[in-house]
Amino acid sequence: MIGRVAHPASAEPLRRRLREIDFVMLCAVLALIALGSLIILSASRSAEAPLGLLRVRALQVGISVALLVAFAAMPYRALADAWKLIYFGNLVLLALVGAIGRTSLGAQRWLSVGPLSIQPSEFAKLALIITLSKLLSERREPIRRFADLIPFVAHVAPSAVLVFLQPDLGTSLVFVAILFALLFAAGTPLRSLAIVGAAGLAAAPFCWHLVKPYQRMRLAVFLDPSLDPLGAGYNLIQSKIAVGSGKLFGKGVFEGTQNALQFLPMQHTDFAFSVLGEEMGFVGAIGALALFLILLWRALRTAAVAQDGFGAYLAVGVAAMIAVHVFVNVGMTMGIMPVTGIPLPFISHGGTSLMTNSAAIGLLFSVLLRRQKIHF
Amino acid sequence: MEHDSLKYLSARLLGLRALLLAMFVVLGVRLWQLQILQGDYYDQLSESNRIRVHHTAAPRGVVLDRRAEVLVSNRPSFTIAVLPMELRDPASVLPVLSSVLGVPLSEIQRRLKAGRARPFEPVPIRRDVGIDVVTALEERRSQLAGVIVVAEPVRQYRYGPLAAHVLGYLGEIDAAELHALRDRGYRSGDLIGKSGVERQYDNLLRGEDGDQVVEVDAGGRPLRVLRESRGHTGRGVVLSLDRAVQQAAEEALQGRTGAVVAMQPRTGEILAMASSPAFDPNLFAAGISAKNWGRLARDPRDVMINRAAAAAYEPGSVFKIVTGAAALHEGVSTPQSRLLCTGSLSLGPWVFRDLAAHGTIDFTTGVAQSCNVMFWQLGRAIGPDRLYVHAKAFGLGDRTGVDLPLEVSGSIPTTEYKRRHWKEPWYPGDTLNMSIGQGFVLTTPLQIARMVSAVANGGELLRPRLVRGLMAPGGTMSYGFSREVQARVKASPAHLAAIRAGMAAVVSRGTGRAAAIPGLSVAGKTGSAETPRGRPHAWFAGFAPVEDPQIVVVVLVEHGYRGGLTSSPIARRVIEAWRARQAPPIGDVTDSPNGVVVSPAVPAGGVDRR
Repeated sequence: MIGRVAHPASAEPLRRRLREIDFVMLCAVLALIALGSLIILSASRSAEAPLGLLRVRALQVGISVALLVAFAAMPYRALADAWKLIYFGNLVLLALVGAIGRTSLGAQRWLSVGPLSIQPSEFAKLALIITLSKLLSERREPIRRFADLIPFVAHVAPSAVLVFLQPDLGTSLVFVAILFALLFAAGTPLRSLAIVGAAGLAAAPFCWHLVKPYQRMRLAVFLDPSLDPLGAGYNLIQSKIAVGSGKLFGKGVFEGTQNALQFLPMQHTDFAFSVLGEEMGFVGAIGALALFLILLWRALRTAAVAQDGFGAYLAVGVAAMIAVHVFVNVGMTMGIMPVTGIPLPFISHGGTSLMTNSAAIGLLFSVLLRRQKIHF
Repeated sequence: MEHDSLKYLSARLLGLRALLLAMFVVLGVRLWQLQILQGDYYDQLSESNRIRVHHTAAPRGVVLDRRAEVLVSNRPSFTIAVLPMELRDPASVLPVLSSVLGVPLSEIQRRLKAGRARPFEPVPIRRDVGIDVVTALEERRSQLAGVIVVAEPVRQYRYGPLAAHVLGYLGEIDAAELHALRDRGYRSGDLIGKSGVERQYDNLLRGEDGDQVVEVDAGGRPLRVLRESRGHTGRGVVLSLDRAVQQAAEEALQGRTGAVVAMQPRTGEILAMASSPAFDPNLFAAGISAKNWGRLARDPRDVMINRAAAAAYEPGSVFKIVTGAAALHEGVSTPQSRLLCTGSLSLGPWVFRDLAAHGTIDFTTGVAQSCNVMFWQLGRAIGPDRLYVHAKAFGLGDRTGVDLPLEVSGSIPTTEYKRRHWKEPWYPGDTLNMSIGQGFVLTTPLQIARMVSAVANGGELLRPRLVRGLMAPGGTMSYGFSREVQARVKASPAHLAAIRAGMAAVVSRGTGRAAAIPGLSVAGKTGSAETPRGRPHAWFAGFAPVEDPQIVVVVLVEHGYRGGLTSSPIARRVIEAWRARQAPPIGDVTDSPNGVVVSPAVPAGGVDRR
């Protein structure tokens, strides 16, 4: 194509390539990580060992920044070559979780590696983005017919089912969202997408029987929180009270009463945004959302300027993943999305999530660093 | 190399950007709605967050003696507490509270500071207040927003100081304990066992607190109970103690400083364990007052220490049981051997003097008269290293493993130890001192009881036990604590019989005649252990009946001067009290013609539910 010249990027001097780094995006990410650390510190101040939690966070941030740099430095097309390894490695990890994983809060999501607990379903998101991008970029012809979609649905299905069985409904829906975003970006006719969507909705009643009772309760409570004001609805009501009572400027960092009194459930993980809303108010919450919007905007820009299809799809996949997390998590804390236990990227306390998202941003940088501008 | 599908990309990216904007607009609008439009409403809700969680303290399990007599139970009481989240105006509330309760303002502030981390949990300010205080508080209700009255069970020790060191006492959990136990449901302000059985079995006794989720109005008044989990009472603990024997032991010790241990020689079950002076655990039950604590802490006799197991003393002549058994085992003496006691023993330039010249005596008489010259000679012939081995085999200088915290081990010296720690060689005089239980020998009364039990039961070293069973809240008993043989002593049954004969002679015609009881054959060994800290400690260690030992009694009186004068009569009173109680207790150990068998109440296979 015109303007997309394919000589090796490494031929350019390093200084020039580093200029390609998107500093706006980088600053947004770092600001979000810093904001998250502040919220974790605030949310854990009534815990028995708040400093312990912060120390863990510091370690996770360190590893994540290293991952970001490593992924940025790596030629991203190496991932396309290794796609089979990534795809099947991911399936093996997910199957291992089902076989020998650690159970917490009713779901078997963690693998213990020495002293660490990792959550393979977090890595799975990245693995699917990479492998789907590879498959899409290899297509010679645009997707036209409904039948063209079947390989892609079949590609995602095993991972989605394994994660759904953990059970982690939220993450399997994230997989589906990534798939839809990538298919959409690849030019799939809207009619075909609508058919797949409708088929999914038709299967929903069947899934209703498969989900655990507590998940069913969460969905029912989402429709009517007063059904169970102390059980499943309790989280929702308390979270709304926290966010709402923050008003314009918030109660001040470390001053949130909902947070301090532990009315908030899982306040440093799933409900971190409630703490943010309570303590920093509308100004702080909108600020955080703005950082996310900037980040996602720049991610889509990366897709637009990528040198090849693989890079463009990677960027779209990463943007879709982060956007879905933000929308579902923030929506949940404000009662417009059901409670699904999806973390808020870069902010929630959770090592695997932070590492996955940082690696994803690293991928975006890798795509940016290895493109050629038109030189006249 | 690029393909057609990418030609849609820029158009589709535009679509994705539109979708992204739409999502963030939705979130932003919702945020606006919650925080700006409805902010005041939610602010009010959070101000008086209407849901409050109360913990209802579970009553601790009762403690019973071996005949199911209640030693420790609970009674209802009122605790005055502050709910930090409701305390809006500490400057005006706390001085009023301080004057009504009589608790210094600084103390209230200290407690509130300690409970700061969990402001929705009541911080107890004063426990177990009278109904007059509750009434006074209710009258000033309007000035005391944030102060609540909590009904809490308070520990009640039925017999006051009886068995205080065994039962232990409660105190508020401290920071170190909280740190160690935070995963097991302990919370700041909880009462926790600080010593004795209360501490050893705290996890069983404490039960599980109930939770009550209550909706309250803005004034903190409960509107309705939303959810309640009842929690459950702790398990009851059945001790091996016999209340009557324990009482007799403590009365006999009255006015002295010392300890009594009474034990079943064939099971290791402890029938009585007394330590004097004692304290009243009731003083601690609701948090001890500074005045009472000061009185206990200032007592130079160290009231809180359990002298039966947590303090070690020179055993003096009681140790001759070890020397005698070792002499028989090592072949340096026989039960028939005779020797001449001239009242002293020369060792190089030194002369060791005994209290009396006993003339030509046999082994039994040597034990009966506690002849130092005889045991010096035996000890010298055995040698310190073999004597050490035998003392250890009798369980001296090691913890017994009794189910009580803070047990000490005492010590038995070795030649090597002295060389290393005192930078001095082991002198022959050290051997003489060791053979009569002086010098570096330190033992607890409980160790002596375990040793005498081994002599009485034919050589088995048994783990002493204070708890025989547990009781579920419904009253179901289970006996899971079986007898445990820790080791066998080195001396053969025949040699132990010779020791028993000598101990019988001690009471029938020797130094321990004050322990004799008409109609019951009692055996024992007295001791007057010299100590660098004052007058000698007075010991008696014996058992009864001689032909079929059922009870071992060890008495130690600190600085009691002579075992035969001071301690033997105390042992007699304990044995008499035991004899008066000979109706078979529940789940007891019985004898059969073939020796000792353990009744089905203590099955080999573990827990028996009945």
